[in-house]
Amino acid sequence: MELLTYTFVQYAFVGGIALAVVAGLLGPFVVQSQQSIASDMFAHVALAGIGAALLVGVSPWWGALPALLMVSTLVWWLLNSELYSADAIAMFFLSGGLALALAFIHIARDTAFSIESYLFGSILTLTSSDLVAILMAALLVVSSVTLLWYPLIGATQNPPHVVPGKRTPQLILLLYFLILAIVVWVGIKTIGGLLIGALLVIPVLIVRAHVRSFKGLATGSIGAAITAVVCGLLISLFFDIPPSSLIIGVLILLFIVQVVYRKLSTRV
Amino acid sequence: MTKPAITVKHVSKSVADRELLHDISFVIDQESLVSLIGPNGAGKSTLVNIMLGLDDQYTGTVTVADGQRIHYIPQQIVTHRQQLPLNVHEYLSVGVTPLYSGTRVTRDFATELGHVGMDSTVLQQPLASLSGGERQRVAIARALLTEPTILVLDEPLAAVDFSSRTGLYELIRHLQKDHGMTVVLVSHDTESVLSISDKVLCLNVSLHSDCHPAQLESAAGTVVQTMHHHC
Repeated sequence: MELLTYTFVQYAFVGGIALAVVAGLLGPFVVQSQQSIASDMFAHVALAGIGAALLVGVSPWWGALPALLMVSTLVWWLLNSELYSADAIAMFFLSGGLALALAFIHIARDTAFSIESYLFGSILTLTSSDLVAILMAALLVVSSVTLLWYPLIGATQNPPHVVPGKRTPQLILLLYFLILAIVVWVGIKTIGGLLIGALLVIPVLIVRAHVRSFKGLATGSIGAAITAVVCGLLISLFFDIPPSSLIIGVLILLFIVQVVYRKLSTRV
Repeated sequence: MTKPAITVKHVSKSVADRELLHDISFVIDQESLVSLIGPNGAGKSTLVNIMLGLDDQYTGTVTVADGQRIHYIPQQIVTHRQQLPLNVHEYLSVGVTPLYSGTRVTRDFATELGHVGMDSTVLQQPLASLSGGERQRVAIARALLTEPTILVLDEPLAAVDFSSRTGLYELIRHLQKDHGMTVVLVSHDTESVLSISDKVLCLNVSLHSDCHPAQLESAAGTVVQTMHHHC
C-alpha cells in the first residue's frame, strides 16, 4: 500500500476516476445513438492530430484536441446531409485518420515519441498539468451533459426527437459530438485511444438489464466504470501488466458476472 | 366560417427522377380532424415532413397559419429490444424541455396522463414495459403537455393490438374536440380512421380525393373498396 503514497499513483487514480465519471455519464448516450464506433473513429482522428502536432513541434496531446473538435463538427455536418451512412463516414475518418497519422509521424522522425502511449494510454505518467487539463475537461463534460440532460436524450434517440420547423435536436447532436470528442481526448491520455470505446460502452452493457430509467443507467455506468478503473489500477500496482488492459479486463469480467447472475436468477 | 390551419398548394417532389409527390393541393381547417391515407410508398411521410418544415427540397408552398404550434408524434415510439431503459417521467421530460417545446410547460404530468386514461403510477415505469396502446397514450399526453394547436400523428396505431385500436381512435377524436386542436392522422388503417375524420385525403403520389368520408363512401360503394380503388 506504500505505492499509494506516490504522487504519480495518486495522479493516476484521480485522472482515472475523472475519466470513469465522464465515460460512464456519456456512455448511455453513445449506446443509445447506435454510433458506438464513433469513439473509435475519433480516437483515430486524434492520432492524426497528434502526428500533425509532432510536425509543427507542439504538445502531441494538445494537438489532438483541435483535430477532434474539427472532425466532430465535420462528421455532424456529413450526417446531417443524409448523403452518407453513419458507418461509411466512421470508416472514412477511422482509416483516413490512421493513414494521416502514419504519414505525419513518419515525416516528423521524432525518436523520443511513442505512439503506443496514445494507443494504449499512459495513465501512470500523468503530470500535474495533464491532471488539471483532465479535471477541467471532465468538469466541462459533466456540466454540459447535466445541463442538457433531456435534450441530449431526445437528440441521441433512434429515431431522434423531432421538433417541427426547428433544427434544435440537430444542434444538440453537434454538442453531443463535441462532448464525445473531449471525452476521447481525455481517454487517449489515460486509457488509450484504442480502449476508450470499451470504457464508454461496456459499463452500459453491464448495467442496462438491471435498471429502469436512463438516470439509473448513467449512475450505474459511472459506478461500473469507477469500479473498473480503481480495481484495474490497484491490480497494476502489484503485477507488471498495463493498467489499461486491466481496466478493460475488469469491465469484461463484470459483464460476464452479470450475464451469469441474470441467467441464474431468471432460472430460479 | 372556418379558418385554415395548414394550406398546401401545388406541392411536388422528385428524387433522382422518381416522382414522390405530384402537384398536391389541399387545405386543413382549424379544429378539424383530417386523415391522410394511402398505401406504403404513397408519399404520406414525405408530405408530412414537408408540412412539418423538416424537408425543404420541394416545389410549391406550404403555409401554416400564424400562431399555430405543431406537435408531431412519430410512428416508432421505443419498440425495439435494443432500446435503453427510459421511464415515462423521462420520456415526458424530453418533450417538455424548453429547448424542444419552445414554451415553459406548466401542466403537471399526472393530470395530462389522466386525460389519456392513465394514472401517475406509470411515471416510474420503463416505457418499453408498456403495451403499444399505453405507449401511444403516453405519447399523446406528452403532446398535450406542450398545448399544441396542431397535432400530427404518423401511423399512431401501427404497434397497437387490434382490440385497443377503437378506444385509441375515440380518445384522439375526444381530445381533438375537447382541446379544440387540429389533428392530422396519417394512416393506412382506412376503415377505422374514416369513422372519426372530418375530411379524408387519399394520397398515392398525387391526391386522389379530398372530401368528407361520407361523400367518399357514397361515391363508390363500400369504403374499403373505394380506398383500394383510389389508392
